[in-house]
Amino acid sequence: MSLLSVENLNQVYTDAYTHEEMTAVGNVSFDIPEGQFISLIGPSGCGKTTVLNIVAGFIRASGGSVMLAGKPISGPGPDRGVVFQDFALFPWKSVEANIAFGLKMRGVDKAERKRRAREVIELVGLSGFEAKYPHELSGGMRQRVGVARVLATEPTMMLMDEPFASIDAQTRRVLQQEVLRIWEQERPTVLFVTHDVDEAIFMSDRVIVLSSRPSAVQADIEIPIPRPRTWSDVYADPAFVRIRRELMAMLGVDDDEKGS
Amino acid sequence: MTGIALRPSREPLSDSGRRQLARRRARLSSAAWFLSPFVVLVALWAVLVPALDVSPRTFPSLASVWAVFTSGVTDGSLWTQVFASLARVGAGTGLAIAIGVPFGILMGISRGVSGFFSPLLRFSVALAGIAWIPLATLWLGYGTGAVVFIVFNAVFFAVVYTTMLGVRQISTSLLRAARSLGAGPGRMFVEIYLPGAAPSIVTGLRMGMGFAWRGLIAAEIIATSSGLGYTLFLARQYYETDVIILMMITIGVLWLLMDRFLLAPLERRTVERWGARRQVGT
Amino acid sequence: MTVDTPVRSQQRSRVETAGAWTGLLRVPGIRTWGPFAVVVAIWALIAELELFPSAFFVGPGTVFETTVRLIERGILPSYIGDSLLRLAVGAGFGVVIGVALGFLIGLNKYARKFSWPMLLFFQAIGDIAWLPILIIWFGFSLTSVTLVIVYTVTFPLIISIVAGIDSIPQNLMRAAASLGAKRWRGIVEVVVPAALPGISSGIRTGLGYGWRALIAAEIIIGTSGVGFMMFEARRQGDVSHVFIGMVVLGALWYATDALILAPFEKETVERWGMVEGIGR
Ligand SMILES: Nc1ncnc2c1ncn2[C@@H]1O[C@H](COP(=O)(O)OP(=O)(O)OP(=O)(O)O)[C@@H](O)[C@H]1O
Ligand SMILES: [Mg+2]
Repeated sequence: MSLLSVENLNQVYTDAYTHEEMTAVGNVSFDIPEGQFISLIGPSGCGKTTVLNIVAGFIRASGGSVMLAGKPISGPGPDRGVVFQDFALFPWKSVEANIAFGLKMRGVDKAERKRRAREVIELVGLSGFEAKYPHELSGGMRQRVGVARVLATEPTMMLMDEPFASIDAQTRRVLQQEVLRIWEQERPTVLFVTHDVDEAIFMSDRVIVLSSRPSAVQADIEIPIPRPRTWSDVYADPAFVRIRRELMAMLGVDDDEKGS
Repeated sequence: MTGIALRPSREPLSDSGRRQLARRRARLSSAAWFLSPFVVLVALWAVLVPALDVSPRTFPSLASVWAVFTSGVTDGSLWTQVFASLARVGAGTGLAIAIGVPFGILMGISRGVSGFFSPLLRFSVALAGIAWIPLATLWLGYGTGAVVFIVFNAVFFAVVYTTMLGVRQISTSLLRAARSLGAGPGRMFVEIYLPGAAPSIVTGLRMGMGFAWRGLIAAEIIATSSGLGYTLFLARQYYETDVIILMMITIGVLWLLMDRFLLAPLERRTVERWGARRQVGT
Repeated sequence: MTVDTPVRSQQRSRVETAGAWTGLLRVPGIRTWGPFAVVVAIWALIAELELFPSAFFVGPGTVFETTVRLIERGILPSYIGDSLLRLAVGAGFGVVIGVALGFLIGLNKYARKFSWPMLLFFQAIGDIAWLPILIIWFGFSLTSVTLVIVYTVTFPLIISIVAGIDSIPQNLMRAAASLGAKRWRGIVEVVVPAALPGISSGIRTGLGYGWRALIAAEIIIGTSGVGFMMFEARRQGDVSHVFIGMVVLGALWYATDALILAPFEKETVERWGMVEGIGR
């Protein structure tokens, strides 16, 4: 059974000043079975963030339905942890307090919070930085905190919107592998938005391609690359090369540069 | 109210027609929201003062304030006071900009100059404006000179400080580029420092004039025999609350007009026009 | 880099003198107090040369002697006490009212829409303009002075708290909500700390206005306080008291800033990297 099912999703934005209406998401439908890692890619401005925000409950869709485990989504909640592109860490909270935030909201007692936070900090490789404030961390470390903050509450689903877009290329590669390693331990269901084709293929079980605005699902591609994956293996995999070429063609990008 | 105004129209309309209608409605509703508190306030005033039988020595009726206003407008006495005050603000501010901006730029350019003057400036900013009234009246006598000095003083310190910050924010690469293209000191001032610091200068001007406007009222109360502040305080002696309230409203409205139609657009324009250039450099 | 030798050496010597000067400025004590020493010296020189008549301008020596005399007689301490007490009481009420209204208006859409234009209008009237009507209502009393200060502190505080709340990054609120924070928890955990820079800059502005309003009110109402002392002295042509008043006002502001505002900011918003170091 699928955990998340998105049907005929449609989103129309009205410009606050000119009152012009613009259809960002035309008609998007897809399902995510429990435990799957799904990437959403598409041209810039096609509504990927919009879809993710609707699933997160941050905005209400103009039309269509989004069901999580058979129930319609009515607002944000701790069952769907969100990792943001700009990290969205609380600057006034230490690393540990940021990570324990979700547990605190749930009313978990202090000792347990601390124990669980330490566990997750260990998992994302941030031991020794518990008492630091976010502004004292590098971009890569901040996003580790962002991921850890979500992991700590053990959500049924993780939503990530270009989580590595503002991180340098090397660190990004490392983080992608790290997140996969963690994901393989806990196996949450993941909806991952990116515009990086390589990243989408490397991370996911399935890649969903949205067409340009007003968007619809243009393709839904299985990634048959065995896990656990590392970049060096994946680059050499013929399936990777084939799917990459396919996706590049679909997005209208000429495949003349290797990697990015 | 907005609920009604924003509900989409049911008649089939052309796209642009509907858009226009929606825009007009939105504008109407925001105007209504803007005016509503004032309407409520004036209505309360009109109802409560007669209902509670408030003495005119405590609070004036709406009618008597209106009467003072119309007579002040027709015999021109209101304009005389307004122009007396505005002229002082204009003179003081003009002087402050003429001296403060070059000085601020100098402080921004030279670490030595700013290192010397910064602590003094921090000390003086707290004093700027009203605290100078006793000294200003001592040196310049009671009258316009002292008031202009107070306005000058309030604007000057704010403008110097923000000009300095503005110059500091101009990116080094931009300065180097200009110099390597052969700009001399004069050119640098006109082409780089002035436009580069402009957004920050205008912000300072807006802040300084906020202090200056208050300083003006205080100085006029204490040190002159014309202007809004003077009229305001004179009325107190005779318990003319209608004049007092009218003057308060005039002071508020004048500041809002200045801020809305002079300072805010100026700030927006400089930030839009020159702020972007600054960001490209950084 | 092909620069002619003479130009280069000229440049170097300029750099070196600048270096010595800025190097001197880097010593903390000298950096802060050095300029004041220079100003006092120039001040003394001008007074010594008698460029201005002594009724208009007195030297630091005279000011110092008068200060000592005023302190001995207990006048200066009691006036400073009066002024500070008024400011503290007024600012205290002002902060409480300003913070409450600031959060209400910042968080409630309707409160905002309704009160915002009026807020700007009352802010525009300015504190001092209220003094005449307050005097009619409450006489030449402490109440009038205190009310003016409350008024002065409240409005900038409201406006900057609202601005602070408006500038909270949307994703921060979303993150809190998606981690399970309900409305009130969200306010306590996110809105309040995120509004702290706004609160501290609002208090700073408010106190700046309040300080000036206090002086004006003391001059106009005139019973005691530093403002009163300055203006009374001016009326009697005693310029040294006016100078003392100015020095005292500056020093008190410096102290308020250094002892209360700066440490607060250092412990909160600066610690969290939400603003650059303030006032340096
Ligand atoms: N709050 C909003 N109001 C009006 N229009 C919006 C709003 N949010 C997004 N849009 C518009 O909807 C469209 C889709 O935006 P969205 O952010 O979902 O795209 P995206 O696929 O995430 O793009 P990118 O790859 O650049 O992040 C864009 O054209 C955008 O301008
Ligand atoms: Mg996006």
